[in-house]
Amino acid sequence: MKPVVELKNLSKTIRSKKIIDNLNLSLYPGQITGFLGPNGAGKTTTIRMMVGLMKQTGGDIVIDGVSLRDDFEEGLSKVGVIVENPEMYKFMSGYKNLIHFARMHKGVTKERIDEVVRQVGMQNRIHEKVGTYSLGMRQRLGLAQALLHSPKFLILDEPTNGLDPAGIREFRQYLRKIAEAEGVSVFVSSHMLSEIEQMCDRIAIIQNGKLIDIREMSDARESFYYIEATPAEKAKQMLMDGGFTVEAFKDGLLVNAEQHQIPGLVESFIAEGLQVFAVQPHRKTLEDEFLEMTGGGQIAEAYAK
Amino acid sequence: MLKLMQNEWMKLWHKKGTWVMTGILIIITAGMMGLMKWISIQQDMGGNFTRAGMIQDPSSVGGTVLLLTVIVAAGIVASEFSQGTIKMLLTRPVKRWKILLSKFLTVNVFGMFLMVIGYAVYVLLALLLFKSGAGESISSWSVWSKSLYMLLLSFGNVFITATFAFAIGSVFRSSSLAIGLSLFIYFTGSTISAILSRYEIAKYLLFTHMDLTQFETGMMLVPDLTMPFSLAVLAVYIIVFLVISFTTFVKRDVTA
Repeated sequence: MKPVVELKNLSKTIRSKKIIDNLNLSLYPGQITGFLGPNGAGKTTTIRMMVGLMKQTGGDIVIDGVSLRDDFEEGLSKVGVIVENPEMYKFMSGYKNLIHFARMHKGVTKERIDEVVRQVGMQNRIHEKVGTYSLGMRQRLGLAQALLHSPKFLILDEPTNGLDPAGIREFRQYLRKIAEAEGVSVFVSSHMLSEIEQMCDRIAIIQNGKLIDIREMSDARESFYYIEATPAEKAKQMLMDGGFTVEAFKDGLLVNAEQHQIPGLVESFIAEGLQVFAVQPHRKTLEDEFLEMTGGGQIAEAYAK
Repeated sequence: MLKLMQNEWMKLWHKKGTWVMTGILIIITAGMMGLMKWISIQQDMGGNFTRAGMIQDPSSVGGTVLLLTVIVAAGIVASEFSQGTIKMLLTRPVKRWKILLSKFLTVNVFGMFLMVIGYAVYVLLALLLFKSGAGESISSWSVWSKSLYMLLLSFGNVFITATFAFAIGSVFRSSSLAIGLSLFIYFTGSTISAILSRYEIAKYLLFTHMDLTQFETGMMLVPDLTMPFSLAVLAVYIIVFLVISFTTFVKRDVTA
C-alpha cells in the first residue's frame, strides 16, 4: 500500500537542542495510527511540523506524494487538522466559523458544509454563537472544520480532551467509520492510553525525539496467566522447574503460559497438595507496555516552549 | 485573496467593538462640528467659518479615524494569537504571506471606510450648520477637489500609523503594545521633530513626514521639505515596517 504521509528523517533543533531526531514514519490509508510518548517527547512538535505551524530544520514531510517544502498549499490541502482544543471565533456563530474556514479551501460548497454539520450532529445549534457552546460542542465543531474539505489525512492532537465518555465513544466510532469507509488515514496523539488502545490499528511511540517503536495492534501478544496458589514459594519453584518465567504480581504469580498448558499445571499443583485460588488469563495493557518501554514517567529534559 | 479579505471583513464586523468605533467616529465628528459652530457664534467671526471654508479642510476627520484604525491594525494579528485561533488559520492550505497581506489590506480598507463615513458626516454638518460666505459657491469644482485632496493627505497619516501599529502588533503579538507605541508616536512625534528641526537628522525622521497636510496648510515642522521628498522617506519607512512584519510572521514557529 502506498503511504499517504511520509516523514523522512524529520529533525527539529531549537537553540542547538535536538527536539526531534531523524524521525521516519509512514501512515497508510484507512489506518488509524496512535502517537504516544511521555510529556516533552516531541509529539506536539512533530504534529506542528506536519501541519505547517513549525518549520523543520531537517528532513522532509511528504503528503500524498507532495513535499510540504516544495508545495505547501497543495500538500496541506489534503490534511484536516485539530490541534489540541479547537479554538474558534467565539463572537461568530458555528456556521460562520465553518464558512470562514471553507473559504480557505478550494471547492467546499454550501451543501458540503451542511452535510458535515449533519455528520457531527450540530444542526440544531450551528447558528448560535460559539461562545455559548460547551466544550463537547466545540470539539464537534472542531471535527467539522477538519472534515470540510474531505481530507485524505486527518491529524488530531489530543482530540478527546474534555469529551464525556459518551462523546469519546461516539468520536471513536466516527473516526473508525471515516477511516474504513472513506480510506482516510488518521493520526492521533493522546495521553489516554486506553483510548488509543481501543481506537488505533497501529501505534508509534516516541521518546526524546526518537521513534522507539511502531507496532500493529493486531500483533499476537505473549500470553500470560495469573496464578494464585499457596504456598507461593513451592508454586513458584514448580513453575520455574517447568521452564516458565515467573513474576510476582499482586498476591500471586504471573506466568508466561499458553492456554493448553494450564490444565496440566493445575493438575500438578493439586497433585502436590497446593491450594489453588485463582487461575486467569492476564492481558498486559498498553499502559504496562508503554511504561516498560519508556521507563516510567520521567520527563525528557524540558525544552523552552 | 478576495476570499481571505472577505473573511477578515466578516470577523471585523462581528466584533461589537467595530460597531462601537464607527459610532464613536460619527459622534466625535459631529461633536467637533458643533464645537466649531459654538466657537464661531461666541467669537462672532462668521467670516472665518464659512461653509466652503469648512468643506475645504476636512483633515480633522483624519485624527479620529487614525485612532480607531490603529486599534484595528494593532489587534488584527495579535488577537488571532491571543484567541488561539492562529493555529486554525495557519493550518490551511494558504501561504502565510497571503494571510498577512489580506489582513493588512483589510486594515486599509477599514481605514478608508471610516474616512468615507467621517467625511460624509463632516460634509453633511458643514452644509447644515454653516452659511456660505460672501461670493462663495460650494458648487464649484475647486472647493470639492481641494476638499478631497485634503482628505487624501490626511489619510496618509492614517495609513502610516496603521502600518506601524500593524507591524508592531504582528511582530510582538501584543495589541496593547502596538496601540500604545503608535499613539505615542502620533502625539509626540511632531514635538520631537520640532525639537530636532535644527539638525539634519530631523529630515529623515518618520515623524517629520507623517502629517502630509502640512504642505497645504504651510505649517511645516521642518522648513525646506518638499512633498516628493516626504513621500520618498515615508515609502522607505513603510517598506521597512512591512518587510519586518512579513518576515517575522512567515518564519515564526507557532506554539500558542
